[in-house]
Amino acid sequence: MRYGLLVMVLIVLLIIATVLSVGMGPLQLSPMQSIAILLKQLGVPLNTAYTDQQEVVVTAIRLPRVIFGIFIGATLAMCGTAIQGLFRNPLADPALIGISSGAALFTVVVIVVGLQIFQSLFTILGTYMLSIAAFAGAFFTTILIYRISQAGGKTIVSTMLLAGIAISAMAAAGTGIMTLIANDAQLRTITFWNLGSLGGASWVNVAVLAPLCLICMIGLPSMSKALNALVLGETNASHLGINVEALKSKVIILTALGIGACVSMSGIIGFVGLVTPHIVRKMIGPEHKQVFVASGLLGAVLLVIADLVCRTVVAPIEIPIGIATALIGAPFFLYLLLKERKNQIVF
Amino acid sequence: MISVKNIWYKSNDTHLLRDISFSIDAGDVLAVLGSNGAGKSTLLKCLSKELTPEKGDVLFKKTLLGRWHNQELARNRAVLSQHYQVTLPFSVEQIVMMGRYPHFKNHPLPKDYDIVKESLAFAGISHLQHRNYLTLSGGEQQRTQIARVLSQLWEEDNNEKLLILDEPVSALDIQYQHHIMQLVGRLSERNFAVIAVLHDLNLALQYCNKALLLKKGEQVAFGDTGVIDRALIKKVYDVDSDLVYHAASNKNYIIITE
Repeated sequence: MRYGLLVMVLIVLLIIATVLSVGMGPLQLSPMQSIAILLKQLGVPLNTAYTDQQEVVVTAIRLPRVIFGIFIGATLAMCGTAIQGLFRNPLADPALIGISSGAALFTVVVIVVGLQIFQSLFTILGTYMLSIAAFAGAFFTTILIYRISQAGGKTIVSTMLLAGIAISAMAAAGTGIMTLIANDAQLRTITFWNLGSLGGASWVNVAVLAPLCLICMIGLPSMSKALNALVLGETNASHLGINVEALKSKVIILTALGIGACVSMSGIIGFVGLVTPHIVRKMIGPEHKQVFVASGLLGAVLLVIADLVCRTVVAPIEIPIGIATALIGAPFFLYLLLKERKNQIVF
Repeated sequence: MISVKNIWYKSNDTHLLRDISFSIDAGDVLAVLGSNGAGKSTLLKCLSKELTPEKGDVLFKKTLLGRWHNQELARNRAVLSQHYQVTLPFSVEQIVMMGRYPHFKNHPLPKDYDIVKESLAFAGISHLQHRNYLTLSGGEQQRTQIARVLSQLWEEDNNEKLLILDEPVSALDIQYQHHIMQLVGRLSERNFAVIAVLHDLNLALQYCNKALLLKKGEQVAFGDTGVIDRALIKKVYDVDSDLVYHAASNKNYIIITE
């Protein structure tokens, strides 16, 4: 499929998903009403009737949640693309190799320990604190996994995946210890973090999330050429004039920033970073610039739709979105493993 | 164009290179010869700025190699490695375009596409242009990589270029071994100097004009390929041989008699 066509299709899908998502829920809106309310926010009034209550529900509750989904889905997918490029392996995923767990552990520690010191974290500063903690967790985990899994200039995939298991287990143990000393309110927050949810969406949180995600979304595609060259191996990339050490640092910092921001806002939402770039590469090939853009769009579409399904399918109960992405993503991962084993390319 | 002055290289207290010195100019095709462990690959890494010699200097175009900026160096010399671990399904064209990366910032120019086309044609793989690299045979992959390093240096200017090849033909069938070496020979007419590690002495005699023979990190001989004789072969490879004259090519060839 042509890249330009795919991008057009994905933009249309994203608009449709947005309109559906702000319209559906306990209070139903027709698509025309949703469009009218959305366009009014952009300063374009339409002649469609809707109630004030409907407008408030859309602008105060559903729209920030959709924007949350767009930013988090796009960032997770683009970070997945970057991590796969860095590890030179299509099986790397921020959640799978423990980066998200590391971020979650640091976040939980701040929630439990930090709340006792600072009284309240529910301010903009507090929210940024969580993001910084998650960034630090993601950053250290990425460096650790990268160091462990590299030998002689290439990635030992089995080591990478096994190290991810070990780090996830350690992070789970750390989180478990935190639950022992947490109070009831903190416990609910921790559970929410571990399962992943877009329920924390608000305009305040969007204001914190958006700049961090934007840095990541603008920064990563600028490294496309270098990531392409890295597929030849580190030495061969440096023979092409690429500063490989600088590239690695930049990718690790930007993905840690993106993953950290997402995890601190929504908890661990796994497999988006694995599945999305893979689908995109199947359609338009592995050129990183194109994969970054298309993955970002597809990740946003997938997460907005997944969130819509999660909060409407057994309403009023809301399924944590991390469960939904794992339900779809885990079998997909097994399929990838089987396929790679047949090709014998990766292991 | 490149001159090596008394370089030494040590790893884990073992000297992998001892006092190597030689120099070549544009138009030269240098064969680096020697048995396994002679230090051929280590020497190539010192020449490509991957390793820094412990002692001695490598001058490329009269400037110390260490002083070259990576990107500028990449426009003037290309390196073909022995192994490539490509794991993503890039097309042949995309791999060859990577050779143009040092020349454009974000998007390839029409000139870059033209050069990729010419490099593909030069390496005889135009028909593979849109194929997935991962599905190619070993020989086809090797020719793709050769087209990539060609495209890296393929400029219509008078700049001298250096091409470093680590065992360029080891993985190839005989007809492609000769095909690639003929390409290399044609490059020497275009202001290129070529340094190639070779295992086949006869390929060296047929296509190279200079030879550097190494044994256990030491330089046994450097000079025109004519210097290669029975005594030298005995010294470097520890085998007996005869030199046979081939009138049509006016060259000597080697038959191992041991």
